[in-house]
Amino acid sequence: MTTQTTTTSSSTRTETPALTASRVEAPRDRPFILALTRNGHMSEPVMEYALRVAHRLGYGILAVHVDTMPLAKLEKRSHLFAAAVAESVALLREHADRLGLAVEHLQTAGRIGDLVARLCRARKRIDFVIIDKGIRLEEVTRQSPVPVFPVVNRQQSLFVRTFINKHTHKGVSAMATITSKRHVKHCLLFGSLTAGLYASVFAYQDLVMTWFSKGGVYALLPVATVFAVSYFHGNFTSAFWSALGIEASRAGAGRQTSTRPAVPEPAVAPRRDTRPRVQLNA
Amino acid sequence: MHGPVNEVMQFIDLNAYSIVFLFLVGFIGGLVSGFIGSGGAFVLTPGMMSLGVPGTVAVASNMCHKFPKALVGAIKRYRYGQVDIKLGLIMGVFAEIGVQVGIMIQKHILDRWGEAGSNLYVSVIFVLVLVTVGSFVLRDALKMKRSGTEAETTTSLAKRLQQIELWPMVTFKTANLRISVWFLVPVAIATGMLAATIAVGGFIGVPGLMYIVGATSIVASATELVIAFVMGLGGTLIWAYYGMVDIRLVLLILAGSLFGVQLGAIGTTYVKEYMIKYVMATIMLIVAVSRFFALPKYLSQLRIISLQENWIGLMTKASFAIMCLALVVGASIILFSLFKARRLERLSTVGV
Repeated sequence: MTTQTTTTSSSTRTETPALTASRVEAPRDRPFILALTRNGHMSEPVMEYALRVAHRLGYGILAVHVDTMPLAKLEKRSHLFAAAVAESVALLREHADRLGLAVEHLQTAGRIGDLVARLCRARKRIDFVIIDKGIRLEEVTRQSPVPVFPVVNRQQSLFVRTFINKHTHKGVSAMATITSKRHVKHCLLFGSLTAGLYASVFAYQDLVMTWFSKGGVYALLPVATVFAVSYFHGNFTSAFWSALGIEASRAGAGRQTSTRPAVPEPAVAPRRDTRPRVQLNA
Repeated sequence: MHGPVNEVMQFIDLNAYSIVFLFLVGFIGGLVSGFIGSGGAFVLTPGMMSLGVPGTVAVASNMCHKFPKALVGAIKRYRYGQVDIKLGLIMGVFAEIGVQVGIMIQKHILDRWGEAGSNLYVSVIFVLVLVTVGSFVLRDALKMKRSGTEAETTTSLAKRLQQIELWPMVTFKTANLRISVWFLVPVAIATGMLAATIAVGGFIGVPGLMYIVGATSIVASATELVIAFVMGLGGTLIWAYYGMVDIRLVLLILAGSLFGVQLGAIGTTYVKEYMIKYVMATIMLIVAVSRFFALPKYLSQLRIISLQENWIGLMTKASFAIMCLALVVGASIILFSLFKARRLERLSTVGV
């Protein structure tokens, strides 16, 4: 297991350190938010949320990139993972610098549950954990002594944006070569499955036609067949165009609806404030 | 129940020509469907019949190829965040009712005026609907193109309808609108009725979603795929129950159309919003011209006008050719704008 830790404390550089300075007496006491991802690039909503909350509370951010596939440690993959992590961290640091937040970064490998337990024990001041997509909530909560929050990302397009804001596209384009290989693999797999399905239908077409056109309950035969075709052939054609490099526009994929303001939810009466109150009689 | 059906069944022998023909028509039809939400199916029924497939089998097989294609297209476009599943399902259920109504009307006309009368009815509906809706969509697309606005504006009709609070109101998150179900139902039923009549409900469904319900053209065309899936699945189950589906034809068309539908769906992420309207209007208007050429044949069959035999033959051929042309033109616009936009995007990334 390889672990490398780097620390930057940039809170000194800020001019208006809002809550940070008043709450943190010494950097050692600084409470941290643990932002956890298993992807090379931490997704934007997670990063944004971590930054915003840390700024408001005067916390630091401990960003952890976990490589959960150390066994499949191909030379190239780990190299690319490191490149992607470097980019992601650079982006996080850039934003943190602007807000005057302390960011620590850790790149490690291993099981996520163990890691969280270990980190929370080792550093007493982790107050809560936020996890990126791809990490199962139960996996973390089982072993975590502090609350865990998944950051749900409903819009796929936002995820793409982290890739575009980069100084370099090295990690991204290199990661793309892997996916292109995966497309070819999918293409071959589903292509042969589709071919098999077609071959079996056409090789036994007399038999198939007798049974498939019987009607009644046998109606399910053609319907089931076309569902199978839409799965196999659908995946094949999808992988086929992707393997050829014809994929959705990165800029346009998220542009599904207009820029109209969101439709307001039906009005609900505001919840009653039931918090205890202090009354002062002078 | 199986007895009389088996007598009707005549499944054709496939040869290289018919295989290539079905694959190609499937591909082009799929491309158009993936892009504008439906379309392409109208060429397949006459196309298959020209190969010698009996009418009912052609209609059944066409229906059976439509829903897997719509399913694959809908999944693809859902990944791009363009599909409002809730809207599609609600519309789909009511469209299914529309299909049944449409079939009943067809049956009634068939009983009353015979085959020629039914064909004439179909062609008249074709011309009327396509010319009216098509020219409206085209005018809107041209207006958008000229004004150069990126974002679509909701029509005043849709805005007004959305403001009417009539129980039950439904909120659609992806389509980003809130409207009473009562305004969805007529659009859905009309979609279903058109689908039962001319095999392409989307020519009412998509404009209805855009101008009456108030969705953007991207969401409307993507959601139409869900409606087409629901309608197609229902229709297929009925046709297959009577044993009319020729699975070989379906597989051949699907082989091409799934390639097309993926490409069409990818295309929507590149082009400007008015392009969807533009392609749709173009196809609708060309098809209207094609059906116009088919009218004299039925009119003379009903002895309303008299025309020479060879003229009618020529016009029927012209009608089919123009119909194919409509698809080819639509497909070429889609492919052309897709590759153009791709090139521009690549250039801009390299430039940065």
